[in-house]
Amino acid sequence: MKRKILLGLVVALGLGLAQKTLVFGSNGEPVSLEPGNITDGISIYVQRQIYDTLVDFKPGSTEVTAGLATSWFSSPDGKVWTFRLRQGVKFQDGTELDAEAVKFNIERWWDPKNPTRIDAAARYEIWPELFGGFKGDPGSILKEIQVVDKYTVRFILNQPFPAFPAAIGSGYFGIASPAAIKKDGAKYGSPTGSAVGTGPFRLVEWRPGEQVVLEKNPTYWKKGFPKVDRVVFRVIKDPAARLAALKAGTIDFTTDIPPANLKDLEADRNLDAVFRPSFNVGYLALNPSHKPLADPRVRQAIAMAVNKKAIVQAFWGKLGLTDGHFTPPSMKAFQSPKVTDHEFNPQKAKALLAEAGYPNGFDLELWYMPVSRPYFPTPKEIAEAMAADLSAIGIRVKLQTKDWASYLADRKKAPGFQAYMLGWTGDYGDPQNFYDPHFACPIADLFDGTGKPLCVKELGDILTKAATTPNLEERKRLYQQADELTFSLALRIPIVHSQPLLAKRKNITGWVPSPLGSESFETIEKR
Amino acid sequence: MWNYVLRRLLGLVPVLFGITLLVFLFLQLIPGDPAQAILGERGTPEQLAALREKLGLNKPLYVQYLTFVKNILTGDLGTSAVSTIPVAEELKRRWPATFELALAATLVAVVLGIPVGILAAVRKNSLVDTLSMSLSLVGVSMPVFWLGLLLVYLFAVNLHWLPTGGRLSTDLAIDFRPISGFLILDGILALKPQVLADALRHLILPALTLGTIPLAILTRITRSAMLEVLSQDYVRTARAKGLGERQVILKHALKNALLPVVTIVGLQFGTLLGGAILTETIFSWPGIGSYIYEGILNRDYPVVQAGVLVVATVFVLVNLLVDLSYALLDPRIQYR
Repeated sequence: MKRKILLGLVVALGLGLAQKTLVFGSNGEPVSLEPGNITDGISIYVQRQIYDTLVDFKPGSTEVTAGLATSWFSSPDGKVWTFRLRQGVKFQDGTELDAEAVKFNIERWWDPKNPTRIDAAARYEIWPELFGGFKGDPGSILKEIQVVDKYTVRFILNQPFPAFPAAIGSGYFGIASPAAIKKDGAKYGSPTGSAVGTGPFRLVEWRPGEQVVLEKNPTYWKKGFPKVDRVVFRVIKDPAARLAALKAGTIDFTTDIPPANLKDLEADRNLDAVFRPSFNVGYLALNPSHKPLADPRVRQAIAMAVNKKAIVQAFWGKLGLTDGHFTPPSMKAFQSPKVTDHEFNPQKAKALLAEAGYPNGFDLELWYMPVSRPYFPTPKEIAEAMAADLSAIGIRVKLQTKDWASYLADRKKAPGFQAYMLGWTGDYGDPQNFYDPHFACPIADLFDGTGKPLCVKELGDILTKAATTPNLEERKRLYQQADELTFSLALRIPIVHSQPLLAKRKNITGWVPSPLGSESFETIEKR
Repeated sequence: MWNYVLRRLLGLVPVLFGITLLVFLFLQLIPGDPAQAILGERGTPEQLAALREKLGLNKPLYVQYLTFVKNILTGDLGTSAVSTIPVAEELKRRWPATFELALAATLVAVVLGIPVGILAAVRKNSLVDTLSMSLSLVGVSMPVFWLGLLLVYLFAVNLHWLPTGGRLSTDLAIDFRPISGFLILDGILALKPQVLADALRHLILPALTLGTIPLAILTRITRSAMLEVLSQDYVRTARAKGLGERQVILKHALKNALLPVVTIVGLQFGTLLGGAILTETIFSWPGIGSYIYEGILNRDYPVVQAGVLVVATVFVLVNLLVDLSYALLDPRIQYR
């Protein structure tokens, strides 16, 4: 009996002292807590709490706002970007954030020969992807980085890059403490090493497979934040188990809930469904190397024959919307008001097919992804629905798939797949990040019928110009043109912009999900 | 006897080599380029080439295999292609979690399965017998995944009696540093009753889930073994001598019926160590099962190869132990 009382006391004491701990149900393990060396969403989510980036984004939007830099501007030719840093910001190890520290981080990502790099091969892959290459590569957009004074850093570019602040502000590029990196060496950012930034929370412990524990950064530069003492990332990979943990109160909030669980969430009075603003596109790609698809009228006919609204309603419900824009709704400023959506009209589609010389239709191989993605949660079923719509205008669809790795590789090998489903989730808030990987000339995964990658010169020219024009109004106009052109070309028909489903318990407030996929937990409160 | 043990141990060498070959070849049979699978939608040709180089995928098959075996012999199980953490380190850290769970599941199976099996045999064709046999049939046929989620929803989500997953509650896990990795033991060693209690509470549902199939199998095996023994002459003799039924069953019959039961317990334990993949995934149990599962999902070759290899090796070793334990249980078995 005595022992029981003692045990009770110990437990009660433990609860009484409990700090405000926010428990996040993570759908997997972070790969690394080293900035610039990851591309997976889970790592970015954890890193976002530890590190700050040069620029930040307004909560819930893709609009750039002050981060570690308080202001920035480009030279008239768009090739020199100057950033003024916030003063008096300290890393969690007590060292100061200054221009040298920023330079240290950038050079580490950019320069493969940098001695502080952990791993020379196959890592830091996001830098060349967003900035054209590493130091020394012919395509590298960055030419030089200079420290102007203690709190000013200057990027000299090889070509104008108006989206530069948005790109360098993306969640991959958190600014880390140079001292900590030098001290930790190869262990930096791994479970046995440290991860030191200027962000709202600092790393306490990373126990692989179990949890990552962060605690409030007492020297955080944003006064009054964060609102909780601790954040724990608990790894629960199985979605059903994660939902159960949320219902039971083991975790407070989580992401990556299957769309099918929306009703269940809404029925539970302890829980709230939370929608992340869409920042993706799921599309149907039509490859002109398959002869009938070379005719734009045929592609238009297909766009008209697929009942997109019904499909989105059936497979996403409230979680999806469909329009004719390749970019998601958060990029409205760059979208043309003339582009609405393809009209659903099987009769007209049939007439168009006949006009193009296919009154009896044709055979088409349609490839669906073997894996589920936010933009296509159930690819096979969605493909079946599209196939049914196409058969109504006489196109005889043969559904095809193969393992994910081959799927990704084979679509880029001539002649490519005739028609296939795929999608894209953006890295940063600029239309360039959506258009260039898909439409920049030559288009790597659509072929022109002679075995060469397809090149739509008119579109390619617009995109090149749009990517390098410093003037924002001019860029908007160019991307609106690109919007109209991609719409009428119908090489990739946007099917959906989906909103990922997240969930929280009712006592959690102040959580504003970012369309970019990760947001700071500093504003979250737990009642 | 020692001669036999030595011979059996030597016999393991070709078996283990065979395992390495199978593990290696099976992964080769999976279609598609693992580098592409790891990089996903956005891999560029340069990144693909670099990753292939790093994973050694551009070398001839036999070179890859020889490197694989050579590394194993030097104790190097490779590094994870995704996290770059050495696989051996990770397996070592996760091993106690899986072992603890497998032990608990075996305990569930033995403590419930053997008595129920005996009872069913002794009261053959009674209600107890029919009921336990039907239940065990359900037990073997129930999908582990479904059963696990069912238990979670019943006992954790609706009744709030037990936690939904993990090995410790979040708050306890923040402050508690595992000593041996076996949390039950650690709770005792660290003199932390709340850790011990919490670890036990977390162990119940996964152990029940994982233990259900072996429990059902064990019940059936015990029953049939008992039935066979009970029909033997020496049991009749024992009864004729005037021994009480209790003594006849527990002393004379059970001891002889245990032989096949021990075999099955051993085999099941070996299976549990490797077969915990689904259970560990449902309950977010940080053991080697969930590690291998993740490796498979990510096409992380070094993780899958090393994981399967370790599990297979343990399985073979447990089998050996079972064989050797025969000698202790049944003197009729001779070693030549």
